[in-house]
Order: sequence, then C-alpha cells, then structure tokens
Amino acid sequence: MTSFLDHTINGLVVGNIYALLAVGLALIFGVSRLINFAHGSVYVVGAYVGLIAVAHLKLPLPLTILAVVVGTGALGILIERVGLRPLAHSVRIAPLLATIGISFVIDQLIQLTFSPDPQALPSLVPDWRFTVGGVTVGALDLVIAGIGVTSAALLYGFLTFTRLGWAVRATAQDRDAARQMGVDVDAVNRAVFAIASALGGLSGLLVGMYYNYISPAMSFQATLKGIVAEVVGGVGNVPGAVVGSLLLGLTESYGIALLGTTYRNLFAFVLLVLILVLKPNGLFASNRQLPPEPMTGTFVAPSRPLKLPASALAGLTVAAFALPLVVTTPYVLQTLSNAWLYAMLGLSLTLVAGTVGQVSLGHAALLAIGGYVSALLAVDLGLPVMLAILAAGLATGAIGTVLVSPAFRLRGHYVSIATLAIGEIVGLVILNWESVTRGPIGVSGIPPIEIAGIPLYSAAATYWFTLAVMVVLALLQAKLLASHLGRTLRAIREDDVAARSHGIALSRYKAIAFGFGGFAAGISGAITAHLYSYINHETFNAQISILALTIVILGGMGNVLGAIVGSVALIGLPELFRITAEYRILIYGIALLLLVRFRPQGLLGTV
Amino acid sequence: MPITRRAAVAGLTAALSLASLAAAGLGTAPLARAAEPVLFGVSGPLTGPNAQYGAQWKQGFDLALDEINAAGGIGGRPLAYRFEDSQSDPKQSVAIAQKFVADPTIVAELGDFSSPASMAATPIYQRAGLLQFGFTNSHPDFTKGGDFAWSSSVSQAEEQPLVADFAVRSLGLKKLAVLYLNTDWGRTSKDIFVKAAKDFGADVVVAEGYQPEEKDFRSTLVRVRDAAPDGIVLISYYADGALIARQLGAAGLKQPAVAVSSVYSPKFLELGGDFVNGIYTPARFFPEDPRPHVKKFVETFKARYGKEPDAFNAYAYDALHLVAAAAKVGGPTRTGVRDGLAKIKDVPSVIFEKATFDAATRRIAGAPSVKLVVKDGRFTLWDGAKTN
Repeated sequence: MTSFLDHTINGLVVGNIYALLAVGLALIFGVSRLINFAHGSVYVVGAYVGLIAVAHLKLPLPLTILAVVVGTGALGILIERVGLRPLAHSVRIAPLLATIGISFVIDQLIQLTFSPDPQALPSLVPDWRFTVGGVTVGALDLVIAGIGVTSAALLYGFLTFTRLGWAVRATAQDRDAARQMGVDVDAVNRAVFAIASALGGLSGLLVGMYYNYISPAMSFQATLKGIVAEVVGGVGNVPGAVVGSLLLGLTESYGIALLGTTYRNLFAFVLLVLILVLKPNGLFASNRQLPPEPMTGTFVAPSRPLKLPASALAGLTVAAFALPLVVTTPYVLQTLSNAWLYAMLGLSLTLVAGTVGQVSLGHAALLAIGGYVSALLAVDLGLPVMLAILAAGLATGAIGTVLVSPAFRLRGHYVSIATLAIGEIVGLVILNWESVTRGPIGVSGIPPIEIAGIPLYSAAATYWFTLAVMVVLALLQAKLLASHLGRTLRAIREDDVAARSHGIALSRYKAIAFGFGGFAAGISGAITAHLYSYINHETFNAQISILALTIVILGGMGNVLGAIVGSVALIGLPELFRITAEYRILIYGIALLLLVRFRPQGLLGTV
Repeated sequence: MPITRRAAVAGLTAALSLASLAAAGLGTAPLARAAEPVLFGVSGPLTGPNAQYGAQWKQGFDLALDEINAAGGIGGRPLAYRFEDSQSDPKQSVAIAQKFVADPTIVAELGDFSSPASMAATPIYQRAGLLQFGFTNSHPDFTKGGDFAWSSSVSQAEEQPLVADFAVRSLGLKKLAVLYLNTDWGRTSKDIFVKAAKDFGADVVVAEGYQPEEKDFRSTLVRVRDAAPDGIVLISYYADGALIARQLGAAGLKQPAVAVSSVYSPKFLELGGDFVNGIYTPARFFPEDPRPHVKKFVETFKARYGKEPDAFNAYAYDALHLVAAAAKVGGPTRTGVRDGLAKIKDVPSVIFEKATFDAATRRIAGAPSVKLVVKDGRFTLWDGAKTN
C-alpha cells in the first residue's frame, strides 16, 4: 500500500500550496466579510513582480521576496482604497462586484504588459530532493510549507496579541461597535488588505517558481481553489484555512487515486458541498460560536426602484419588436439576441438572488442542463425542437431545484459558495458522464429552431424569437412577483427568521423560486444550444455564472426590467468596445467599476 | 414618480450604448471600392484564457501577409485581414460571424480557436456562403458543418498513428501510459492513439485525462508509476506538456516520453528546462529542416520576431497562404475562394510540404512527419537510437 502513502504526501504538498492563497482570503473575509475575487489577480501580480526581480534584475531570493511582498502589499492597499473604501456604506454585494471588476483590470494590465504567453520563472531555491515513500519532496516544498505555517502562526499571533490585531478582530465581529470604541476601521481594513495581498503575491511567486510557469490566465483558478480551501476550513478562520487547504489537497489526491485525474475537481467540490451542508461554519467552528452575521436583508440593499409607467414599458416592447425593421445589420441583431438570451438567465438569477436573497454563483450550470437536455432530446430521440426546448425548461427547473436543495438551509455567502460548487459539479458530471453527454467531444449537429416546419435562420427571425420568449418569461415573472408569492419571497429575503415565525415554509418557497428560475434559465440554455448547433462542457463555463451575477447586480437585484437592461449593457459593452481591440476587456472592467461606484444599487434599483 | 438624477444618467448611458452599437454595425458597409484590399476576417482569442494562441496566430499571419503582398497580392489587389477578438467564446464568435457575413468586403473567414466557439458559428457562415477556414479545428465533425467549412488542421486520424508508430515501432515501447488533455481535441486524439498503438501490438496500461487549467500532476503520476509502463505518451499542448515533463522528472519517472506535435514550441523548451531533454516528438518541421520552404519560414520568422516559430505560428502562416492561393485561383469573391480551395494543388506549406485539399472531406491529407528528440534544450533530428 505504498501508493496510499505517496498519495497522502502528494496531497499534503499540493494542499500546502493552496494554503498560502486560502490564508489571505480568510483574513479578508474575516474582517471585511468579502469574498475577494481579485485575490487571484494579486497572486498573478506577485508572480510577475517575481519575474522582473529574478529574470531582469537578477535579485537574490530574499530581495525577490521583499520586492514581491512590498509590491503586492501596496497593491492591496490600492485595491482597498480605490475599489472598496468608497463602497463601505453601500450594499454588501457592491464590494464583491468591485473585486470582480478589479480582477478584470489587473489581469488585462498584466496580459498587455507581459503578453498572454506563459513564461518561465526560474526557481532560486536549490533543487535538493529527497524521497519519502515512493515520491520525492523538494527543498521548495519545504520553503512553501515553512512560509505557509509561519505566516499563519504570525497572523495568529498578530490577531491575538497585538493592539492592531485586536482592532482587526473587533472590526470583524462588529464594524459599527468597533468604530464607536475608537477603532480606525479604515486603517484596519488597509492593514488587512496589505497583509493578505502580500501573502497572495508571495504565493504567486512561490507557485510560479514551483512549476517554472506563470501566465496571466492562472488567476481565476487560483481564486476558485483558494475559496474552496478557505470555506472547508471555515470562512474567516486563519488557522482553519491552512488545515482546510491540506484537506482539499488530500481529497483531490485520493480522488485521483480512486477514479483518475478527470475526477479531481469533482471530489474537491463534493467535499465543499458536504462541509457546507454538514458544518456550514467550517470544520473548526465550535458550537458555541455565534452564527455568522445574518446576511439576508443587509445583503440586498433597500432602494427605491426606478419604475416605468405601463405605457412606457409597452412602448419599449413595441420598439424592441420593431427594431429589425429599422436596423437590419445582422451583427447588431445577433448581439441583441444574445442579450435577450442572457436576459432570460438574468431573470432567473434576479429571482433567486434578488427577490429571495439566494445569491447563486453557479447559474451557468442551469444553462448547461437546459442546453444538454434539449440537444440530446432533439438529436438522440428526434423530438421536435420546440418540444425539446420546453421539456428542457421543465427538466432544468426540476433538476436545478433538486441539486440546489441541500443549500436551502444556508444563508448569505454560504449559498453563493455552495451554488458555485454545485455549478462546477454539474460541469464535471457532464464531462465525465460520457455515455449520455459524449464527454469532452460534445454534442454536434443540433438541429436549428423550427416554427411550423420553417427553420429560423435569419438574424431577424432569431431576434424576434428570443425577444418573444424573453418577454413572455419576463411578464410571467412580473406577475409572480406582484402576487402574494412575490411578497412571501421578499419576506424570506428581508428576514428569514421573521418569515418562518409567520408560518412560511422557507424551503418550499425557495424551491418554488429555484423551480421557476430554473425553467427560465433552462429555456435560455436550450435555445442557445439550437442556435450554436454544437455544445460541449466548456460552452457554459464558470465565467458565465459571474457574468450572470454581474448582469443582475448591474440591473438592480430582483428587478425584472433591470435584468434585461443589465444584460443589454453587459453583452453590448464588450461589443461596443471592440474598436479598442486588446484593450476592450480592460475598458469593460473599468466601466464595471465606475458603475458599481456610482450606482451600487443597480441601474434600475432593487425591488 | 421620483427618478433620481443618477438613474436617469445611467439609463441614458445604456440607451446611448445601444444606439452607438447599432451605428458601429451600420458604419462598416458602404465603402469605396477602388484598389481596395481583398479582406479576410479572423475570429480568434486576443484576450481571455486562450489569448496566447491568438497572439501566435497574428505573428504567423503577418509574416504570410507580407510575403503575399510583396508577391503582388491577389490579382493586383493587396491582401488584408481584420482580426476580431472572440475570447474563443461562442456567444462572441457568433456575433462576429454575423458581422463578417454582413460585410460584403470580407471574402473569407479564418478561425475560431476552440471547437465550441468555431462550431457555434459554422451554421451562420454556412448559410451565408462565407468560407469558414478552421486551421486549429481537429474536431472530427468540424468540416461536416457544411460545404463552406474547411480545415487545414492535421486530422488526428492521421496524426495519432504517426505518434503510435514512433512510440511503438521506432522506440520499441510496449506498455504505454497516456496523459491527455481532456478536451474534444485531446479526447479524440487519445481514442485514435490507443487504437493505433494496439494495432501495432502495444498495450495502453493507463490513460489519464486532465483539465486544461491543471498545474499539478503529482498524484496522476503516482497512478502512472503504479501501472508500470515502459513509455509515456503526452497528448498535450506545449504549456501543459512542459509542466508534465518537469513533474515526470521530479517524480523520478525515467521512462522515455513521446509527445504529440502540438508541443513543438520554443516555449516547451523554456518552460520545461532540463526536464524536456530526451522527449520525443513527431513534428512537422524543425529549426534545421532542410526543405527550402520551411527554411525560408523559419529564417524570416526568426529575423522578424527574434525567436523560433512554433506549431501555432506555422498553422496560421500556412492557413493565410492557403486561403490566399485559393483566392488567386478562384477569384476574390466568397464562392471564388471556396471553389478555389478545391482547385489549388500542391501549395507549398510548412505543415504539409505540398497541400492539396480532398474536396469530399474538405481537409488535407499527407502531412509529413520528422522524428525529433529534445537534446540540450533544442529540437533535433532523432538519430535512431532506441533509448536516451
């Protein structure tokens, strides 16, 4: 059974690497109650600062580390100052969106400066190796472990024994009370971002040296793995983050040992969901610990929504339907058709995230389920396309609700993380369930949409079809929200304890919302599959989940019209910035940041 | 009803975006015609996770473009291309497709990079009758999208038996471990490879698929070790190939390793360092290649970019030359270019030596292969010795 030992050591070595990321994320979450999506970008910056120091300035290791720590620490302060401090008094969700925008900007700047090509980052640590069991462990592994454990210990000491550390913890427990006791909360936040970012940058440097490989594209994966490790250890728990990381590494390693490499992330995300469901405060939360801050109510900001009179809405709808008569450019119509399809996804998410307060970060999975169900029904069983699309909507509503049901008992950020994991699991099941989904080869030759035997080929026909479906779904949703059901759903968002004490069965109403939302998203995914004619597991990826959330926040949480406006803006803007070529995603990121800064409650306001 | 000033401004901004979006689309159509360049559209990733490949395409295209225009362009008109960034994302590649098909100045399209992005756009190109020339699209169904879908990507049905031949017949390996990129490309390749290797009398003792974003292969390599192979086959691109090669070394797996031709890149050598020494690959060309056409490509590329070209540079370089040759033969119109592809014969090519399309499959057969081994950090011709 030597391989068991080998897999254990490998798991610990890999977990060791995740730990450096998770500790920084845990610190930021602990104090700011924020999932920092820019953490992976800071990690990338650390790696590239290291590249300059090592390859161009030829600095020795200690000076390289110093350069990375100072550089990324300063970047952390900048992120806190520019991206987050101005949002301190706005909605909880706004800083989250800001970190997404910041990560776009940083990743693009790195890519424009250093080219998108991966580069070698030579290790300055001597390549001494020794063998444990059947695997080798190198000097760099020990350096990483040393730095990981030392920084966690230092942080623990800092938080426990220093005045600033007490201030950090006081701020983490109750920001307002801390402020009243004279704690300079801004200084605390600055310190936390500086420390966490320096750690993130350091891990970028060390991981880059470890693999002799750095690229601007490694940021998203780093964020994802860091978040998983952090949650396993208990969000905001610094020593827990280290143990959580090691556990994640071990789970992946054993998963590979059992079933093979393609199942690696499946195990990681199943572990995450299990932990969330069984011990939502993380493995190391004591039972006495206070429940996490109730995010509902504070998570979605109350604001006065912008309301259009019915006549204006009707006018807009007529104008939208008449548009292809005036604008005949297929490119514009195609872009708007995409916007209508994403508006359906936005409708779905704005219902569950905005109205019920269950912020889902895995919504692309619903598109994937809808797309695959419809494509397979049409290709394998020869079902007429319209019927297949409808069936896909219903199936997605049902499957989606069942899949998310374990997360019904969770609140706030935990729902987001659980849905993120469930979304990844759906993608991995599609990849691995080859007998049905055809695995990575994907489904090709998906028939086009047909109405009464006439296929919809022209851009205008596609435009009208997607617009019509979207308008119907939007009207249904508006009707739903205006009914007593809408009021109940909002009550759950505002205060789930009060709602429950009024006899509202929370899970049942959440299921209704996910069922309806799943239907809309499933229809959107199904239409997309028939328009594309080919889909595989990469067609509906995690980036789309982030896009969906951005659409919803931008439009205004829970706002039906907002989801549509948000979708048109976010699908349209990257196309609009096309003239700026390589700079367009950078400009898109900046535009996103400005929108969050000046309109955190969304363009049309929360309903 | 209260409308805040900010909301009004925001609403106006959104409306303006829409209006200028429409204007941007409309503005491209009416243009003067005289001495106007022959225009190809390119849909590919310039930003996002695959941006590196788009950057390599550009280098290959620009080199070919200058050669074509120096030789008189197409019927006296200069050739130009318009590169639209799709991020290799299907929702953007279909919008780009609509943009290209509606623009009468564009007579052919090249790309996209990944199968989901390329094949989502195929119906649009097919219905509009605009050539979609996929030169990295090895998905077996790509050219089945219609008679306007053509590909110069080496079919895996051809490539993988060459890899198997190298590993099994030339190197005499009998028990193989296969590591493959778990995408449509890697999976198709692996299936064909396993079959070919079995036909040649070898066993595949373990096959492991990994995700494109994976960096750590330690645990995978323990599985490989436990299967006790006598050789390792990498169905990888250069970046992940180099990562695996390094970790093979670190894990103490000393078996000979054969990698598919996509690892052919100076980056493979840079990222892999000493660890890629001794790795075999059946490539299409190599720096000291004596064939004059390849020699010219390698030398002009090095002179212009200060580095050696890789496989993706060569695919792009060849693709532009091929479509330009078709435009010369068939005329610079949409159907002309398509019909031209069926007519061109023995076009000099880096990848194929002499490229001729099979009009039925719309692919090119007969890519030659040279057996290379990495030696002292360079791709060199394999000397026929069985172990390193």
